[in-house]
Amino acid sequence: MLNRKASTKNCIKGLLSFMRPYRTKAIIALVMIVITQGAFALNPMVEGMITSQLTEDAIAILDQVPGAHVHFDVIFRIMMILMGLYLLKTVSQLITTFFLTDAIQGTMHDLRNALQKKIQRLPVRYFDDHPFGDLLSKVTNDVDALSNALQQALTRVFGGILTFIFVITMMLRINIWMSVIALLIIPFSLIITKFVVGHSQRLFEKQQATLGELNGTITEMYGGFNEIILYGKQEDAIKRFEDVNERMCNASFKAQFVSSLIAPLISLCTYLAIGGVAVLGCIFVIQGVITVGNLQAFIRYIWQINEPLSSISQLSGQVQSAFAGMGRIFGMLEEEEEVLENPNPIVLHDVKGMVKFEHVQFGYDEELLMHDVNIDVKPGQMVAIVGPTGAGKTTLMNLLLRFYDVKGGAIKIDGVDIRDMPRESLRSLFSLVLQDTWLFNGSVYDNIRYGRRDARKDEVIEAAKMANVHHFIRTLSQGYDTQLNEEANNISQGEKQLLTIARAILKDPQILILDEATSSVDTRLEKMLQEAMQRVMANRTSFVIAHRLSTIKNADLILVLQHGNIIEQGTHESLLAKKGFYEKLYHSQFANQESA
Amino acid sequence: MRLILHYMKAYKILVFLNILSVFGFALAELGIPTLISNMIDEGVLRQDSAYLIHTGLIIALISVIGVLGTILLGYCCARISTSVTRDIRNDVFRKIQSFSHAQMNEFGVSSLITRTNNDAFQIMTFLNVILRTALLTPVMIFVSFTLTIRSNFNLSLIIASTVPVIVLGVFLVGKFSSPISERQQASLDRLNRIFRENLTGIRVIRSFNNDAYESERFDKENRYFMKQSRSLFKLMSSTEPIFFFVMNLAALAIYYVAAGMINANTLQVGMLIAFMEYLFHAMLSVMLFCTVFMMYPRAAVSARRIQAVFDSSSMILDPENPQDLTDIESLVFDDVTFVYPDGEEPVLEHISFEVKKGETIAFIGSTGSGKSTLIGLVPRFYDVSDGSIRINGKDIREYSLQDLRSKIGYVSQKAFLFRGSIADNIRFGKKDASQEEIEHASKVAQAYDFIQEKPDQFEERIVEGATNVSGGQKQRLSITRALVRHPQIYIYDDSFSALDFATDARLRKALKPEVKDAVMMIVAQRVSTIMDADHILVLNEGKVAGYGTHKELLENCSIYREIALSQLSEKELAYA
Repeated sequence: MLNRKASTKNCIKGLLSFMRPYRTKAIIALVMIVITQGAFALNPMVEGMITSQLTEDAIAILDQVPGAHVHFDVIFRIMMILMGLYLLKTVSQLITTFFLTDAIQGTMHDLRNALQKKIQRLPVRYFDDHPFGDLLSKVTNDVDALSNALQQALTRVFGGILTFIFVITMMLRINIWMSVIALLIIPFSLIITKFVVGHSQRLFEKQQATLGELNGTITEMYGGFNEIILYGKQEDAIKRFEDVNERMCNASFKAQFVSSLIAPLISLCTYLAIGGVAVLGCIFVIQGVITVGNLQAFIRYIWQINEPLSSISQLSGQVQSAFAGMGRIFGMLEEEEEVLENPNPIVLHDVKGMVKFEHVQFGYDEELLMHDVNIDVKPGQMVAIVGPTGAGKTTLMNLLLRFYDVKGGAIKIDGVDIRDMPRESLRSLFSLVLQDTWLFNGSVYDNIRYGRRDARKDEVIEAAKMANVHHFIRTLSQGYDTQLNEEANNISQGEKQLLTIARAILKDPQILILDEATSSVDTRLEKMLQEAMQRVMANRTSFVIAHRLSTIKNADLILVLQHGNIIEQGTHESLLAKKGFYEKLYHSQFANQESA
Repeated sequence: MRLILHYMKAYKILVFLNILSVFGFALAELGIPTLISNMIDEGVLRQDSAYLIHTGLIIALISVIGVLGTILLGYCCARISTSVTRDIRNDVFRKIQSFSHAQMNEFGVSSLITRTNNDAFQIMTFLNVILRTALLTPVMIFVSFTLTIRSNFNLSLIIASTVPVIVLGVFLVGKFSSPISERQQASLDRLNRIFRENLTGIRVIRSFNNDAYESERFDKENRYFMKQSRSLFKLMSSTEPIFFFVMNLAALAIYYVAAGMINANTLQVGMLIAFMEYLFHAMLSVMLFCTVFMMYPRAAVSARRIQAVFDSSSMILDPENPQDLTDIESLVFDDVTFVYPDGEEPVLEHISFEVKKGETIAFIGSTGSGKSTLIGLVPRFYDVSDGSIRINGKDIREYSLQDLRSKIGYVSQKAFLFRGSIADNIRFGKKDASQEEIEHASKVAQAYDFIQEKPDQFEERIVEGATNVSGGQKQRLSITRALVRHPQIYIYDDSFSALDFATDARLRKALKPEVKDAVMMIVAQRVSTIMDADHILVLNEGKVAGYGTHKELLENCSIYREIALSQLSEKELAYA
C-alpha cells in the first residue's frame, strides 16, 4: 500500500470544499484582483493622455500660437481620474491582501486540523506501512507549499494572466504593428526558458544529490561525536567535511548561475523589443498615426508584461510543488477510516477482567498469521506471553485493544464481544506500556499525569514512587517541572520506561499490558517493579510480554507462542515438566550462564 | 547581520563587481527610457528619422551591456552566496568538533545538524536576495536621481522625497514583522512537534483515550499559528501596494509641477516622459525590495542560531602547561561528586576507589544509578564538580586532552560505526594498523568469524547507520576498534549486553592476556560478566553501596545480592 495520491480534479474539489467557509472573502478578493489589474492596465493610458495633452500644448507654445498655454483644467481633470485609479488600485489591492490572507490561512488551519483528526481515525494498520516522516511532511512541507503558493502565486499568476489580457488588448488598441513586435517577446521568452531550465534542471538535481551527501556526512559526524573526540579524529572529520562542502559549493554555484541566466536573457528580448517599438513608434508619431502619449503608454505596457513573464517562469516551480503537495494531502484524507462502531454499543460497568479469545483468526494481509487462538484468562490473573521474535506476541495485544479487528472468532471481556463496545470505553479499561516509550514535549509531571489528566500532584508523585523513578526525577534540573524534549539526552531508555510505567500506574486500569516494558531496565529494578506492580494490580488482570524468562516465572499463566499460534500454555513449573518448547527456551537462556 | 557582513569581507572584489554590475542593470533599465525621451524630444519634434535609427542602435548596444551586467551580477551573486555559505558551514563544523559533551547535550545533535545545514541555507537564500534584488532599489533611486538632477532640480527633488518615506516604511515593517515572524516560526516548530508526537504515540494516545485532548492541544497551537501567519502575511503584502501608492503620488506631483514648467517653457515633454519612466522603474525595484521582508526574519533567526554555536565555549579546557603522560600506573577517584550542569541533585556523590595497572574494576547498579556518568568522567566528557580523578598521582585536568584520550579505549553502549569498510572502521582506532594487527584484534573481540562470513570480509561496506550488521556484531567491531589502539585504560560501557552468554564468556577470556598491562573498567548489567573482576563497585542512586570482590559483596552487600539473585539461582551462586 503506497501513498495514495488524489487526482488533480479531486484536489481542486477538495481544496474548494475546504475554502467554502471562507468563500465570501475569497470571491471578493478575486474580484478585487480583477479591479486592481484593470486599474493597473488603465494607468499608462491615462498617464499618456496627460502627456499627449501637454505635448499638444507644448507644440502650440513652441509654434507661438496666440494665447497658447497649458490647459490646466484638462490636465487637472485627467489627474483627478488618475488619482482615482491609483486609489482604486491601492485600496483593491489591500482588500485582496487582507481577505485572501484570511481565507487562505483559515483554510490552511482547517486543513491541518483535518489531517490531525484523520490521523486519529485511521486504523493502526495504516501506520505500519507509512513512514512517519512522510506523514509529517504532509502537515509541514505540503501544507506550507500550498499556503505559499496560494498566498503568492495565486495573486501573481491570476494577476499576471489578467495583465496579459488587459495589456495586450490595450496594445492592440494603440497600434497593431507595434503590438506584433512587442508580442514577439513571448515566444522568445518561452524558448529561452525551456533551454535554460533544461540545463539547470540537471544541475539542480546534482546539487540535490550533493546536498544529500552533505547531510549524510553531517549526520554521521555529529552522531559519532563520542568516537571522534575519543579517538582524536577531529582534524580528519573536518577534512572530510570540507571536501564534501567544497563540492556542495561548486554544485550550487553552477545551478544558481545557470538558472540566473533566464531573467537577463528575457530582459534582452524586452529591451530590443522596446528599442524596435520606440523607433517604429516615433516614426508613427511623426506620421501622425499615434500620439506621443500613446507611444509612452505602449512602452510602459511592454515593461508591464515583462514583469509577469519572468516571475511566472519562477513561480511555475512553486505551483508544481503545491500541486504535488495537494495530491498527497487529499490522497491521505481520502484513506479509509476505522470501521464504525456498533450502532447499539454495550457499555460495561464494574469490569472484572475476564478475557477470552475464542477461535481467533487474524493476519495483517490476506495470509492468516493466527489460525485458531483460544485463551481463557480469569479475573486477576497475570498472564505472560513468550515466544520468538515475530511469533505474534504484540499482535495479540493489538487485537485486544482493537487496533486491529479479528478476521474470525471473537475476543470477549466479561463475556461481551469487544466489537460490541464503544472503542473509547473498551480502551478505558487498559493501560498499555510499550517498549518504545512515548513521551511528549512537556514537563515530567505532565507526562505522568497523561495517564489520568485529573490526577492530583500527590497522586502523580505516588505513582512515580511506585515506578521507582521518583529519586531519578529529583536529580533532574527542575525536578517534576523538567521539560522533556526529543533530544532529552540525560534521560536513558530505562528511565523513560520507568516514566511510562508511572503513567500507566496512575491510570489505575482494569487490565494492564506490559509489552517488553522493562527491556531496558536492569534485572534487579525490574524485579522491584514487578513487586510494586503486583501490589497495584492485585485482583486485576495483567498481560506481560517479556523476552527475559527469569522475570515471568511467577505468572499465573504462561502462553508460548510460535508462528502465531499458542503451542503450549500453563504455569512455569507445569511447562518445565512438559519438557517442550518452553523448557528448551528457558534452558537456552540459562545454560549459557552456567558455563560462564 | 554582522555575521553575514563578517563573512562577506573575504570576497571584497566580488562584492565590488556585484555592485558595479547592478549599475550595469540600472544603466539599461534607466538608459533606455532616457534615450526614448531623447528620441521623442529630438527625433519626433524635429522629424529626424536618421536620428531615430541611430538612437535605436544605441538602445540595442545598451541592452547588450545591461544584459551582460545582469549576467555578471548573477555570477557574482552565486559565487558570493555559495562561498559564504561554504565558509560558514566549515566554521560551524570546525567549532562543533571542539565541543564538549555538555555543549553537545545543550544544543542536541539534531539541532546542530539543522544549524549546519538548513540555517546556512537560509542565509544563502537571503544573501541572494540582498545581492541581487535589494541592492537594485537604492541604486535605481540613486541613478534616477542623478540623471534628473542635471536637467531639472525640482523634479528630482520629488523623486528624492520618496526615499525617506520608503526608508521609514522599511524600518517600520522590519520592526513589526520580525517579532511576529519569530513567533510564527516558533509556533510552527511546536505544531510540527505535536503532530510528530501524535504519530509516534498513536497507540498510547488511543489506549489512554486522549484523542480529544490531543486535537484540542493541536488546534490551540494551530489557531495561534494561523493568527501569526495572518498578521505576518498581511503586513508583508500590504507593503507593496502602499509603497506603490507613494510612488503614484510622486507621479501626480511630477505631472503637476511639469505642467507648470511646460507652460513656462522650461521643460520638454520628452524629459517628462523620461521622468515618469524613472519613477516607474524605481517602483518596480521597490516591489522587488519588498521580498527582502519575506526573507529577513527567517535569515535573522538562522544567523542568530549559527552565532549561538560560535558563541558557545567549552568548559572542558586543556591545561596551559600540560604534564607528560606516558605509562599509566594507577587511576584514582578521590571523593568524586558530580552534578550535571544546572542539575538539582548530584548524580554521583563521594565516590572513591583506586585501580592499578593490570586490574579490572566493574560497576554495577540500577538503571539511573550513575554508572555510565561515572566512567564518562575518565575521558573528561564532563569534569568533576568536587573531588578529583588522578592518574599516576596527578589530576587528569593537568594532562592534555589529546594525550589523555589517546590512552583510553572507550567502547560505548551504543556502538557507532562510520560508513566505509570494516577495515576502515577498525583503523579508526589506529590509522597505520597492519592487517595482522587488525585480524588479531578482531579475533580477540570474537569478530573475526563473522567478518570472514561476510562476502567481502574486511572490505565489507558498513552502510549509513550500520544497519547491515547486528547489534552484537556492532559491539564486537567497536571492541576491535578499541583493541587495535592498545590503550592503557579500557572502558566498556555495557558493551557486552548484546552478546549471548557464550560469546561474552569467550570474549572475556581472550581479553585477559591483552589487557594485562592496562586498567580495565567495565559497566555491566549481568553479574556473570563481572564476577571475576578484581574490584566491584555497587552504585545505588549515585552513592557507593558496596565495594569489594564478588564473594565479599555477596556476603555483605544486600543490593549486590539482590541483583545476583535476580539473575542466577542459589545453586549457580554457590557454584561461582
